[in-house]
Amino acid sequence: MANREPLIQLENVKKCFPLADGEFYEALHGISLEIYEGEFVAIMGPSGSGKSTTMHILGALDVPSSGHYKLRGKDISLYTNDQLAEVRNREIGFVFQSFNLLPRITVLDNVERPMMYAGIKPTERTRRAMEALERVEIADKAENISNHISGGQIQRVAIARAIVMNPAIILADEPTGNLDTKMSEEIVALFTSLNKAGRTIVLITHEPDIAAHAKRIIRIVDGNIVSDAIHKK
Amino acid sequence: MLGVIIGITSVILIYSIGQGAVAFITNELSSFGTDYFQINPGSNQMSAIAGSNALSMEDYETLKGDTSITNIKEVSPFSMGSVNIDGNDVEDDALAYGVAQNAIDILRPDITYGEFITDEQDLNSEHVVVLGEEVAKKFFGEETSPVEESLNINNRTYRVVGVVSSSSVLAGGFLNNAIFLPISVLQDQITGEEALQEIDISVHDPEIINQTIEDVKTLLREEHQLKEDDEDDFRIQSAKDMLETTKTITSLLTAMVAAISGISLVVGGVGVMNIMLVSVTERTREIGLLKAIGAKERDILTQFLFESIVMTFIGGLTGIVLGISGAFLVSVVLHIPFIVSIPAVLLAVGVSAAVGILFGIYPARRAARLSPIDALQYQ
Repeated sequence: MANREPLIQLENVKKCFPLADGEFYEALHGISLEIYEGEFVAIMGPSGSGKSTTMHILGALDVPSSGHYKLRGKDISLYTNDQLAEVRNREIGFVFQSFNLLPRITVLDNVERPMMYAGIKPTERTRRAMEALERVEIADKAENISNHISGGQIQRVAIARAIVMNPAIILADEPTGNLDTKMSEEIVALFTSLNKAGRTIVLITHEPDIAAHAKRIIRIVDGNIVSDAIHKK
Repeated sequence: MLGVIIGITSVILIYSIGQGAVAFITNELSSFGTDYFQINPGSNQMSAIAGSNALSMEDYETLKGDTSITNIKEVSPFSMGSVNIDGNDVEDDALAYGVAQNAIDILRPDITYGEFITDEQDLNSEHVVVLGEEVAKKFFGEETSPVEESLNINNRTYRVVGVVSSSSVLAGGFLNNAIFLPISVLQDQITGEEALQEIDISVHDPEIINQTIEDVKTLLREEHQLKEDDEDDFRIQSAKDMLETTKTITSLLTAMVAAISGISLVVGGVGVMNIMLVSVTERTREIGLLKAIGAKERDILTQFLFESIVMTFIGGLTGIVLGISGAFLVSVVLHIPFIVSIPAVLLAVGVSAAVGILFGIYPARRAARLSPIDALQYQ
């Protein structure tokens, strides 16, 4: 790892939010971390710890107030909204806890959507979307309307959408939060399988038994990284 | 969307009805021909109704005998009076027109039976009468020729020499319900005066009819010894003028309804904007998700603007279908031509799309500018 360039680098990242009284609240107090290609990292922390803020920055949904965020060696800290949107489209694959899919359209249309924004042609979009659905073992639901499938199936489709653009990282924010134990295990197994195939996965969770599947656990408390260790199973 | 539908429907409907009315009137006026104009006494409609005596047989003789205005083809005098008709156990009142033979070239009636009034009958002041079709039916029944039959008109006996009719609504309205006598007989036996209610003049060349009208006006003013500052004591109107007036009135009415429809479209547009704003609020998390997977501001803007345009476009198409259907029904009921103006339809389509863009842009921009984090976290 020492000879490889990190895929993700946060260098002394601070994030401040303005308060109503004109003061600022500092959610992150200058955190630094590196994530390498092929890692499976869990970021844990209690509510208000700054883990969501960290996720927003890692996912290019927000930019640091100070410090640097380098993705594949490029500093995206000062990117414009449109540039960040492009980063999200090409380099980040999101899986959220809930409301993962666009309603009223099919599963296939959902998986194709990021490719549409990237300007990929329709036939190529369909081919790659079907490949992704097959990878997550839900290709038979391609023509189903997204509201008409189960919670576990929704998460599978979200994962298919997350991998379809071959992003730098798959960023999953509490992906099993709304699922029962059985479905949670299936989804985590899928992440593990994707990681074994070489995908870089960053999982935000407050559940220790979910985090236990990752190879590295980073703990954030009160805006600081308090531990960052390889997890021995 | 209802406001858009109503606005577009009313524009298409009134435009079609207006065009149909103009086409109907053009057709009717062409039954008279555009190669003639009429002179009536009085400087305005009211003075004519009040019985102005400004036109007389002298004026007719002057115009008929004039050789300087070379475009004049025929000069035809008209006099009229109310008469009582009695015959075949039927009695009724009717309007009687005193005419010369050349009136047939102006009125262009269909001769159902017999013949029209002749110059010889006028010269000899013969007690002959030509009946309008409805008058003939009233006194002699349908499918029966009343030629050579007799009628008492104001207690004098007249011989029927012909029956005329007109399928034109304008011409038929007066022609079918009137009777025609030689002008000398009407003036002598019925009205007792030489005042004329109308002089019709046909021309060789309709293209220079306006110049001919001016020349006739000059001649009559001279004949009536009017000074330069005096108003004309007669009115001249051509069929072309009547058509232009009709077109002007129709255009004004159409513009007025278009303006009212414009208000309806604005109301409809505001409704569309409100629906879109509600939609943006309800779909906030969806917008957050779209931004998370890479949608730029312009992608969101385009999507919502497109939805707004589709909504108003559908409203516009519905309005066009309803407008055309309504215009068809009206044309059937009013017996006017059914005309669909393609430019009006295209304009309606354009306007409904424009309303969609205009009133959709604000909600679309609101959606596009949402912060992805705020949108994703929206409850």
